[in-house]
Formats: sequence, C-alpha cells, structure tokens
Amino acid sequence: MSVETHTGANPHHEHPDVVGSRNRLGVILLLVADVAMALSVLFVYFYLRQQNVNNMWLPLATADTPAVHPISTRGTWIVTALAALGLLSHFYGLKGARAKAQSQLTLGATFAMAFSAAALVYQFSQIGNAPFTTTSGAYASTYFLIAGLNTLHLVLTLFISIGNWNRSRLGLYVSDHWHVDIVNIWWIWMTVSSALGAFALSFT
Amino acid sequence: MTTLMDRPASASGEASSKRPLIERLNIFTALGLGAVSAIVVWQLALKYLPQNADTAFFFNREDKISLLSLIAWFVGFMVGIGALIGPFRWLMGKDLSHEENMFLAGKDQGVKRYFRYTTDHKVVGIQYVVITIIIFFVAGVLAMLIRTNLGKAGGGWIQPQTYNAIVGWHGIMMIVATIIMVTGPFGNFIMPIMIGARDMAFPRLNALSFWLIVAAIPPVFISFFTGGITTGWTAYNPLASQAGLGMNGYIAFICIFAISTMVSGANITTTVVKMRAKGMTWNRTPIFIYGVVASVALALPAFPVFFLSQIMSGLDRAFATSFYNSAAGGSGWLYENLFWIMGHPEVYVILIPAVAALMEMAPVFTRRPLFSFNLAILGIAGISGLSILVWAHHMYISGWAPLLNAPFMLTTELISIPTGMLFLVLVGTLWRGRVWMTMPLMSIYALLWNFMIGGITGIYLSDVPADSFLHGSMYVTAHFHYTLMGAGLTGALASLVYWFPKMTGRMFDTRLSWISFWLVQIGFNVAFIGMFMVGLAGQPRRVEAYAEIFSRGNMVTTMGAYTIMAGMLVLLHGVISSWRSGVPAPMNPWQAKTLEWTVPNPIPLENFAVLPVVTSDPYGYGKVQQ
Repeated sequence: MSVETHTGANPHHEHPDVVGSRNRLGVILLLVADVAMALSVLFVYFYLRQQNVNNMWLPLATADTPAVHPISTRGTWIVTALAALGLLSHFYGLKGARAKAQSQLTLGATFAMAFSAAALVYQFSQIGNAPFTTTSGAYASTYFLIAGLNTLHLVLTLFISIGNWNRSRLGLYVSDHWHVDIVNIWWIWMTVSSALGAFALSFT
Repeated sequence: MTTLMDRPASASGEASSKRPLIERLNIFTALGLGAVSAIVVWQLALKYLPQNADTAFFFNREDKISLLSLIAWFVGFMVGIGALIGPFRWLMGKDLSHEENMFLAGKDQGVKRYFRYTTDHKVVGIQYVVITIIIFFVAGVLAMLIRTNLGKAGGGWIQPQTYNAIVGWHGIMMIVATIIMVTGPFGNFIMPIMIGARDMAFPRLNALSFWLIVAAIPPVFISFFTGGITTGWTAYNPLASQAGLGMNGYIAFICIFAISTMVSGANITTTVVKMRAKGMTWNRTPIFIYGVVASVALALPAFPVFFLSQIMSGLDRAFATSFYNSAAGGSGWLYENLFWIMGHPEVYVILIPAVAALMEMAPVFTRRPLFSFNLAILGIAGISGLSILVWAHHMYISGWAPLLNAPFMLTTELISIPTGMLFLVLVGTLWRGRVWMTMPLMSIYALLWNFMIGGITGIYLSDVPADSFLHGSMYVTAHFHYTLMGAGLTGALASLVYWFPKMTGRMFDTRLSWISFWLVQIGFNVAFIGMFMVGLAGQPRRVEAYAEIFSRGNMVTTMGAYTIMAGMLVLLHGVISSWRSGVPAPMNPWQAKTLEWTVPNPIPLENFAVLPVVTSDPYGYGKVQQ
C-alpha cells in the first residue's frame, strides 16, 4: 500500500460536522440492535398468540383462578401519544437549535423532558394496575414483556431528555447542535417502538 | 464531581492525596464495589423478599435473589470501573476535558492503564488478548477434564450431573472466547491503524465493550458452584427454566456479553465506515477489515435476539412467566428459534474474521496480490447474507415446521458456494507464489484442510435424512470443532504470531511457533477424526458414559486432546517468553504493505504523527508502485 502524508487540520480539533456524522452513524447502528430486539419481542407475542399452546394464551377460569381477559389498549396508546408529544416538543426544540433560537431549544427540551416523565409514570401505572400477574398465561407474560421494553425505552428517554434539557439550558448547543439531532433520532425510534407495541397488543 | 480540571496547578502533597475520582477507579474498585453491591442486595433480598414468593414453579424465590444479586454485581462493577462517568458528565453538561480524555487514553500511565477504563484502542486490544487467553485456558482445562473422563468406557470418575455442568461451561466459554478471539484483540489493536485512524470512533464504548466482558465472567464462574450449566451451552428451555441456580449465572453472562457485542459492533462498523484514511477507497481497504466488519455487522442484529431469549428465560425462572412453559401457554420451540436465529450467524461471526485474517497474510507470505479481491468480498457477503437464513437446520428433528425442512436444507447447502469462493481466493493466492514458509503461512494450509473436512461433514448434517441419524451424536461435535477450532482458532493463532511484533514490539519465537503449530494440528486431527469415527458408529454426545465398542475411538480422541494441550502450553510459553525477552521486532518484519506496518515500535499514542493518504491497494506485490 503506497502512502503519502499530509499535514491537514489538527486532528484534536475535528470539525463538529465530522464528529456529528460519526456519532449519528454510531447511534443508528446501536438502534439496529434495539430494533432487532423490539422486533423479536413482537415475534414472541405473535408466535405465542398464534400457537395458543394448551389454550393458555388467555386461560379460562378455573376453580382457583379467574379467567384472564386482555387489557384495554387505550392505556398503551396513551403512552404512545405522550411519547409522540415528547417527539414533537423535541423537534420544535431542534428547529430552534438549527435557527440559533436558544429559548425555543430550551422550551422544546423542557416539554420533551416533561412528556417523557409523564409517559414513564403512566407506563408504570399501567403495569401496576394490570388485571393479571406474570403467572397468568402467555398473553400476560408477553404483555409484561412489551410493557417492560417500553419502560426501559422511557427510562433511557428520560435520562437523555434531562441531559438534553440541561445542556440546552447551559447554552452548550449554541455553536453546534448535532447532539440534538441525534437525540431526535432516538425520540423517533422510541415513539415508533411504543406504537408498534400498542399496535401488537390490539391483536388479542 | 471532581475533575482533573479542578486540581490545583501545583502538584502538592494535598493534591496527590485527594486524587480526582476518575483517577481512583480501576479494576480493584470495580471488583470491590461489584462484590459489595451483590452481597448487600443478596442480604436485603433474603431479608425482605417474602417467603411465600414461590408462586408456581421451581426456584422462584432463590432465583429472584440470585438474579437481583447478579444485577447488583453488574451495576456495582460498571460504576466501580468508571463506565458511568462519561454519561453522567454528559447529563450534567460537564463534558470530559482534553486532559481527562488523555488520562482515559492511558497517557504516561505505564502498566496501570491495563487495569483501568482506558480508551486507547491498543490498550483495549492487549486487554482482549489477555482475557481471551484466560478464557481459553479455563475452557481448555475443562475440555481436558471431559476427555480424561471419556478415556475409558462405562463412565469415568466425574458424576453425570457434574459432567453435564462441565460440558455446558466448556461450551459457552469456548463459544465466547472464539467470538472475541479475532475481532477483540486484532479488531481493536490492529484495525484502526490498518485503516489509518488515530483511534476507534467511540473510544469510551471501546473500553466499555471490554469491561463488560470482564463483568460477565464472575457470574459464569459462580454458576459452577451453584449447580452449574447442566443444559449444555445451548441452554434449551424449558430444561433451563427447571435447572438449578447455576443457570442464572449463564443468563447474566449471556446478557452482559450480548451488550458488549452490540456496543463493539456499532463501534467497529462506524470506525471503518467513517474513519478510513484519505484515499482508502473500498477497493483499497484490506480484506481483513471486510472480515471484521462482516462479523460485527452479523452480530449486531443477532445478539439482541439471544439477549431477549435469556431475559425471558430469567423471567420464567424468577417470575413464573410462561414464555417457554407449555403447560402455561409457552413453547420450547420459541426458545429454539430465538436461540438459533443468533446461533447460526454466530458461527460465521467466529469464522469470517479468522479466514479474512489468513487472506490478509496470504499475499504477504507468497509475495503475490490477493487472488480476486472482489471474489473474496463476494464470498464474505454471500456467507453473511445466507447465514441468517439457515437457523432451522438445527431443528430438523425437533418437530418444528417439518414443511420448512427442505427450504432450510437448500439455504444451508447454498452456503457452500460463497465458502468455496473463499477457498478459491486462498488457493489462487498460494498458487505459484514464492512461499515464505512461516507459521502463519502454514496455518493457511491447515485451514484449507480442516475447513474442508468441517465443511464437507457439514453438508451431511444439512441434509435432512442424514441429519436424522447423525443429530445428537459425536459426529456433530467433531464437525463443529473442525469449523470453529480447525478453521477459526487456526486463523486466530496465525494472527497472534503475525501481529505479535506490532503488538508487543518483539518477534514471536519461531521455533516455539512451529512446535506449537504441529502439536496442535496433529493433535487436533487425531482427536476429531477419532470423534467422527465414534459419532458415525452412534455414540451420543453430552453423555459421560459409553459402550465398550466406542472405547478405541475415544482413546484416540483423548490422546489427540492431550497433544493439543501440549501444543497450547507451548504456545502459551511462547507468548510469555517472547513478550518478556523476545528479539526486538523491526517496524515491518514481514515486509507487508498494510498501514499498521508503517508505524514505529512502540506505537505512539495517536498512531500517526501525520495522517496517511493511501494511493494504492494493499496487495501490490510484484507490481511497480506508481
């Protein structure tokens, strides 16, 4: 391999666009892993639903236990709606960052954080108030699996949203905003994943 | 949080006694915090988890306690090593300063950097070498226990249940070791220099991927003392849900390792896509890079599926969910599908980088260009693509979807076509080359021989009627050892000898490399041809006792195994002695043309004083350079 050398820009001070582009690809690749897991969760749901092994997808009542009824998907769609509102808020903030409007960025980040917290609280209440337990057959198991994945996503979203809000507040995105762009990718996927979960649960 | 930037300018005694947190964390704080966290959570769970938590099945309460303790271990370890400093500093809006990043890179820290959350890819590469050797050593000792026990018919000196646990432990540790044996050490140390980069795209994720593996090992060690992995490495459910507490160690091990693989996959792929030197177009990118990227790109979507399968296994055990329990609506076939959707691509995650490394060495030691670079890429791409469509050939006789047996038989047999392309590239490169007979070059011949046997015997297993007879026999064990060890490990050992001068600054002892090579290769073929014989005769695998008619073949296999062990010990001695007192290596001892050989020994922290610009392909042997 023939090589030449060059004395380009100082390697310690890469252009923010270069760093941003690299980070964006890295996040997308990490999301590939998360997408694979989310799709596997859906596969589990539909596989067990289709198999209905020993008629235990939704067990009938016995002398000791009541029948298991599917949960209303209203709650899961509300969580998704809260996530979507968070996404819209973040996108509003991102537009502010692109337009160098610091106050719009901070406002969007604040609302995004609030919506992620609200979605997380509501998701917890959904799990806590489920009318069955983990031992209530295959439907209940997969419900908790989907809800658990969504909870994990929301915890991560809250962490990221707090950081994004704090950094917006501190004015760290004045010179470049690739962090905000990347957080937007996460928000999109998190909302889509939540919607996929809610969609799957509508097939009982 | 205190940072390096907060430290007073004068290096007073007070300042040195109150070092910033980032400087105080290392493997010992990690082990300490991990152990304390696990013990505290264990005690709390014992005290507060209700006694009547045994709602349905086997070990619910104990499983909850055990899994909670393992999670606490994991979190404590990662906090103790400093993995969370970066994310929390980001959260607080106090990004790491240049000085702190230099500290994390291990600047001027000598040997201490190997025990810290060091981000320099060369340090991570060496850490991977050491951890891979340790895992191989432990798993190798277990292999010798297995073979010693199988030395005579009718059952040996190991109890059947302990034997099962040893087989399971050997299997999973060898699988993990072979997954990381090329992409870990050489993907981290060599790859960034080979593409002309100063480091990986995400140095902190790089350190994370390594320390996750360290965090994963104690759970699997502990599992041995809590009932072991009695299911074999596949941990089929519902068997695994009903096994002893040792399975929780397996679950924790796989989950942590899967995260490491995902992180590593994203990091390596981004590095190659975004950080290649100027002028290094895709057709000037060395073939080893393609192998590494194909491997991690396959692992990236495959390992989350494995991760999920183990999460559900843990939930079945601890919370009596019913993913795999058919009495409550679950399905064992669900586990088999999820497992093998990961499990078969994983074979190529192991094989492709090892074969690619040998393809990288073939031009160097024959002084010829790589025969058909494009065919090599096509072969790698073909194997990668087909490998995700073959998983159910492991389930022919499980009863799952018999109508799909024929399509899976077809896809499995098709995979021999791109595999043949890689053979053609290697043979074509060796053909009429001016061969420089070194251990890495000889490893190419060994790979061709071993992989041919592994591949051809695999065709019989891909064939449904033949598989009906051979499935579950020692024939299968011999077949996958021929591929993973005969091809994969051969490539990894050649890589070690080939890149040893660049990684350590010293030449690998030539005599020891040859002695080790012949002992391992002869021992390997003796051992596993013997195993093919008893497998064809019908000896089942994973059974500690066998009938007298299999005793001759087993004796041959055990003798071969001891020969392999002797070869491996010679290799280990070679690594240690050459590293300590080997002949200092020149910058480019093999006169190779890839970029890693253009940097001096020892390699500077940032690899290149000025970034290179590539102007030709890396295999221009025998050509006039423009």
